[in-house]
Amino acid sequence: MLSVNNIVKQYAGHRALDDVSLTVEKGKIFGLLGPNGAGKTSLIRIITQITAPDSGEVIFNGQRLNSNHIAQIGYLPEERGLYKKMEIGEQVLYLARLKGLTTAEATKRVRYWFEKLEMGSWWNKKVEDLSKGMQQKVQFVATILHQPELIILDEPFSGFDPVNAEIIKNEILELNKQGATFIFSTHRMESVEELCDNIALIHRSKKILDGSVEEIRNNYRNQTYWLEYDGAFDTDIPSDIFEIHQQDHKEGKTKLKVQLREGKSANDMLAVLLPLVNIQRLDEVIPTMNDIFIEKVKTQN
Amino acid sequence: MNKILLIIQREYLSRVKKKSFIVMTLLTPVIIAGFYGITIYFSIQGIKGTSNKIAVVNENKTLTEKLVSTRNATYTYVNQSLPQMKANLATEGYDYVLYLPEFNLDAPAGIQLLGTKQAGLTLNSKVSDDIENVIRNQKLKESGLAQKDLDNLKSSVDIDMKKIGETGKEEDSSAGASTVIAYVAGVLMFMFILLYGIQVMRGVIEEKTNRIIEVMISSVKPFQLMMGKIIGIALVGLTQFILWIVLTGAISTAVVKIYANKSTATKTEVATAMKNQSDSKMLKDATEKSPIGSIQKSLANLNVTKIITLFLFFFIGGYLFYSALYAAIGSAVDSETETQQFMFPVMMPLLLGYTLSLSVITNDPYGNMAFWLSMIPFTSPIAMMVRLPYGVPDWQLALSMALLILGFIGTVWVASRIYRVGILMYGKKTSLKEMIKWFTYKN
Repeated sequence: MLSVNNIVKQYAGHRALDDVSLTVEKGKIFGLLGPNGAGKTSLIRIITQITAPDSGEVIFNGQRLNSNHIAQIGYLPEERGLYKKMEIGEQVLYLARLKGLTTAEATKRVRYWFEKLEMGSWWNKKVEDLSKGMQQKVQFVATILHQPELIILDEPFSGFDPVNAEIIKNEILELNKQGATFIFSTHRMESVEELCDNIALIHRSKKILDGSVEEIRNNYRNQTYWLEYDGAFDTDIPSDIFEIHQQDHKEGKTKLKVQLREGKSANDMLAVLLPLVNIQRLDEVIPTMNDIFIEKVKTQN
Repeated sequence: MNKILLIIQREYLSRVKKKSFIVMTLLTPVIIAGFYGITIYFSIQGIKGTSNKIAVVNENKTLTEKLVSTRNATYTYVNQSLPQMKANLATEGYDYVLYLPEFNLDAPAGIQLLGTKQAGLTLNSKVSDDIENVIRNQKLKESGLAQKDLDNLKSSVDIDMKKIGETGKEEDSSAGASTVIAYVAGVLMFMFILLYGIQVMRGVIEEKTNRIIEVMISSVKPFQLMMGKIIGIALVGLTQFILWIVLTGAISTAVVKIYANKSTATKTEVATAMKNQSDSKMLKDATEKSPIGSIQKSLANLNVTKIITLFLFFFIGGYLFYSALYAAIGSAVDSETETQQFMFPVMMPLLLGYTLSLSVITNDPYGNMAFWLSMIPFTSPIAMMVRLPYGVPDWQLALSMALLILGFIGTVWVASRIYRVGILMYGKKTSLKEMIKWFTYKN
């Protein structure tokens, strides 16, 4: 539904985005990852039409991005806030009407969401009377109220306690089930693994990795296993099959992190070990997004 | 367009509903009316004269002519020495003692005015005027003039000032009243532009510090947000101004009525004082300053509707011109404390317009300086308002208005280019150079 083609954005003395292209499929949750200052926010600002690219184009539902699309995009920026002196209900209504909803429709939906997220009593409160987490909830409602097709969330969980983070996560999943597409920018890799279908990793203004989360993690498997057995570590175990990265002895047990050598399989390893030790556990280590992120960014440096 | 209306609505309502707005709107007319009342009171008191009793100790043998008591100063010649008089000043019921020592009439020196309180400037100049008169009379008499001739010497001149209007019709004019109106209009204009311009800047900074700006900008264009804010606050200013006029008018009328009923004597006293263009300087001042006097008279000649309409035009024009610049400043900073360095270049022309208008134009309302000040959009809102009571040719008025419109289109355009970049910049110290760079950014 959204494709970003060869975007370049130049600021004075610094290139924020350098020939970045990516595609977000309809109904998917897309993770936009990258270290601080990589250019994520610049890209999001281009998609939300806050700024325009120097070159390249953004295609939204087959059309070049234009101001008609504003109502179909919901954006929760990382730098977010509300008018401090304004009442909550009035404020969410105002933001919804700016997205093109009529007063009646907006009121109906605000009531529905306030009810659903147990915010019913907040209507006449002022923003300055709410805690940060409560304000985040209000902002989340304001972002999705106009039922956008594309919802862009920049660090949506920062500031939430685990209970509220769970509530918001479930709302995201439910909206996704109803057909909303998400772009999700975060540093929390565990939530990327949990929520995202696809990701793109941006580093130093360039896209350095993209694809489905599953695929990427599979591609980064490197024949590493956790191995646990009874008894002490025996140096006589032949090492032409695997290499030991980490070892740990505790209460008569040994735990090893091993990487198979080129052309060897887990079966080869087991064949060697079975006669020698009493194996209790063998797990393949599938790299986490966190590992991949760190490795990718480090090698690029 | 619909979005701008929504923004205007919010900016307007959120300010008008504030307690501080309501208090200011209601309180100011009371203060103005109170001020008005006090001015009337004191001008009447001035006319009545809080007479100063002055004991004269004359040791001058050549000066035989006596000082003549007037409304504000009663001279009593006493036969006591200066040290005696100084000691008995209070017990004998005098406010001051005037000491005239022996001096040459051609070069009077050593005259002293002593009192328990410091004599004011007005009294000082009055007494010295009186002494000068006495000396002159004495000299004239010595040169052979009789008392009768001396009385005939003085003939009261009353100039009836008329300005010849464009149609050749004579119009009443009063330099005093024009000056007062010019001052009031100039001060009001300056205050309004500054007050509401800064509100625009605060509003922009508030949006930045609250971090709502990015949410807003994903729904509306920066230009819409800026214009919505500027127009919304302009409407707040107009609302306040109109309420002030209405309320001040109502309260003043009520106060004057109550006052007039209470003492008809005072009223006639004021009325006679108005008519009587006597030689007393105090009285003249009082008449000019008295709000019910010549001001109202020349207000009638000045076409109040025209002045108020033009005031509203120049207020809106000047406000738009400056508030766009204030919006640009607000967008470039993170907090109000950082605004200082940018405030100066924007304040300068406004302040310059203010001071020059009130000094140069009131002295020479038809000069070159007055003309140019009232044409350049940076100063024209104030300068034109100050010139207006003295009469301004229609073509100049039209040219000045056209230039102001062009001017604010220009500043709005410049400001919007800085604004759209500035509002998204956080945590950076911005220099003027950087703002100029933003101006040249492509979208």
